[in-house]
Amino acid sequence: MSGMQFGVFTVGDVTPDPTTGIAPTEADRIRATVTIAKKVEEVGLDVFATGEHHNPPFVPSSPTTLLGYIAAQTERIILSTATTLITTNDPVKIAEDFSVLQHLSGGRTDVMLGRGNTGPVYPWFGQDIRAAIPLTVEHYDLLRRLWREEIVDWTGEFRTSLQGFTLAPRPLDGVPPFVWHASIRTMEVAELAAYYGDGFFANHIFWPSSHTKRMVQYYRQRFEHYGHGSAHQAIVGLGGQVFMRANSQDAVNEFRPYFDNAPVYGHGPSLEEFTASTPLTVGSPQQVIDRTLGFREYVGDYQRQLFLVDHAGLPLKTVLEQLDLLGGEVVPVLRKEFQRGRPADVPAGPTHESLVKAAAQEDRQE
Amino acid sequence: MTTLAVISGGLREPSSTRLLAGRIDTAVHQALAAIDTSATSTMIELRPLGRAIMDAMLTGVVAPELEEAFDAVASADGLIAVTPAFNASFSGLFKSFFDVLPEQTLWDMPVLIAATGGTERHSLVLDHALRPMFSYLHAIVAPAGVYAATNDFGAQRGSAALSERINTAARDFARLLRSCGARTRRDAFADELTEMQRLLGAASQCKDTATIED
Repeated sequence: MSGMQFGVFTVGDVTPDPTTGIAPTEADRIRATVTIAKKVEEVGLDVFATGEHHNPPFVPSSPTTLLGYIAAQTERIILSTATTLITTNDPVKIAEDFSVLQHLSGGRTDVMLGRGNTGPVYPWFGQDIRAAIPLTVEHYDLLRRLWREEIVDWTGEFRTSLQGFTLAPRPLDGVPPFVWHASIRTMEVAELAAYYGDGFFANHIFWPSSHTKRMVQYYRQRFEHYGHGSAHQAIVGLGGQVFMRANSQDAVNEFRPYFDNAPVYGHGPSLEEFTASTPLTVGSPQQVIDRTLGFREYVGDYQRQLFLVDHAGLPLKTVLEQLDLLGGEVVPVLRKEFQRGRPADVPAGPTHESLVKAAAQEDRQE
Repeated sequence: MTTLAVISGGLREPSSTRLLAGRIDTAVHQALAAIDTSATSTMIELRPLGRAIMDAMLTGVVAPELEEAFDAVASADGLIAVTPAFNASFSGLFKSFFDVLPEQTLWDMPVLIAATGGTERHSLVLDHALRPMFSYLHAIVAPAGVYAATNDFGAQRGSAALSERINTAARDFARLLRSCGARTRRDAFADELTEMQRLLGAASQCKDTATIED
């Protein structure tokens, strides 16, 4: 897994198939998610990431339960989230859940943190969306300390104090999971990621690419400013959204009803308009290859590319076909092409092994 | 040089709202010229942006042509905003444009408000609908607005009176523009980032270098 990492991220929506009107049950959807994750490993991709949602029509309210189950049935892929809510989850519980997952998966765990922009969710967990940014900063500061310090004394504004608290289990090999900070449009998240030298993941798929470019440039500039390395060495991940058939017109015809009725952007811009302003690509595998390689032109050499392939009521069979195309035709070419001209000092996608190695080097230097 | 943005919420072709917007714009240019200030205007008609405005509201995706309109407003020194009166208020399309316009765009911006309607009896739409909305958006709303009813565009006597009202409002607005001076474009991102840097306890060391490049 040298160089870039490729994978999928799922929202976990239960949406009726608009072409048949048939909705999967929650059980169907959860089992389909597991099947998709196993397929990700089978076709040679690197990462499976699940969203976290606490209201219907979504099923993934307990991501580490899902990922733990998948960890037991896979051997190679990295299990991640997209995103874990740093605002409404207790940082102590996040630290515990991901520590256990890290041990169970043998280090195949990282975590992508996000604020969550669903207002009603906040009070369900005793929080207030108006404090989302200060909550993010405070909770993340605590999470970092829990993973890094044996004994934590901590006082903050949003949570009861901790005195002499020790996280159990301690992170695997003493190295916390790699952290990505994800944003659809919020520049502050780029600042947070840069401040700590963590990864920055631009959702990319719900907002015009021009904005993604601006956020990533800002993150890279600030990453360098805070002394974590040169701007081109900052750790960047991108979302993407594809639907493929061998013949591109077949792809458009088949995907259009799903697009038109999709929960997030359906009944809005046309498929063609959305394709022009966001990274959505509906067409042949070659079109997906060309478009994805183009991302590098505005974000630079980056580390992780995740595709959304399983939403808006697409049947499992179709999703698995998409993964066959991604693994069989698209990603092998992307791996080779993204490697071309990539400077040697641009880091590869982060893994537990690379973090253990970096920590050992740091120890030697001290 | 004063940069103006003119918004017309007119729907039909020809539109009396668009017509009024043009006449006010011309009068403001003349009033500015009288105090030795040149001006340039960008006319933004909302009718062709209707779908883009609704897409932005429903999905958050801003089409390039709408982005261009946002940019014209954000970089202006002053705004002339004209809506037809529908059901005792501004039109839904007019309101929707300001609902999707990025926050803080109108902070400190001088705004001349105007409206058209079927009869004079709707003229309070200026003070009961437009003025509160623009005040809420932290704009500096000129004291005199312009309301034009169908009568104003018809009878000889009526149209002379309308011209006089337009000129009066334009002169007031020109004085307001001059005393407010050139406007610094608001950057909501920069404000947010300053706050974030403060939270991260890093405000002091990075204030100088924090810039956003397009």
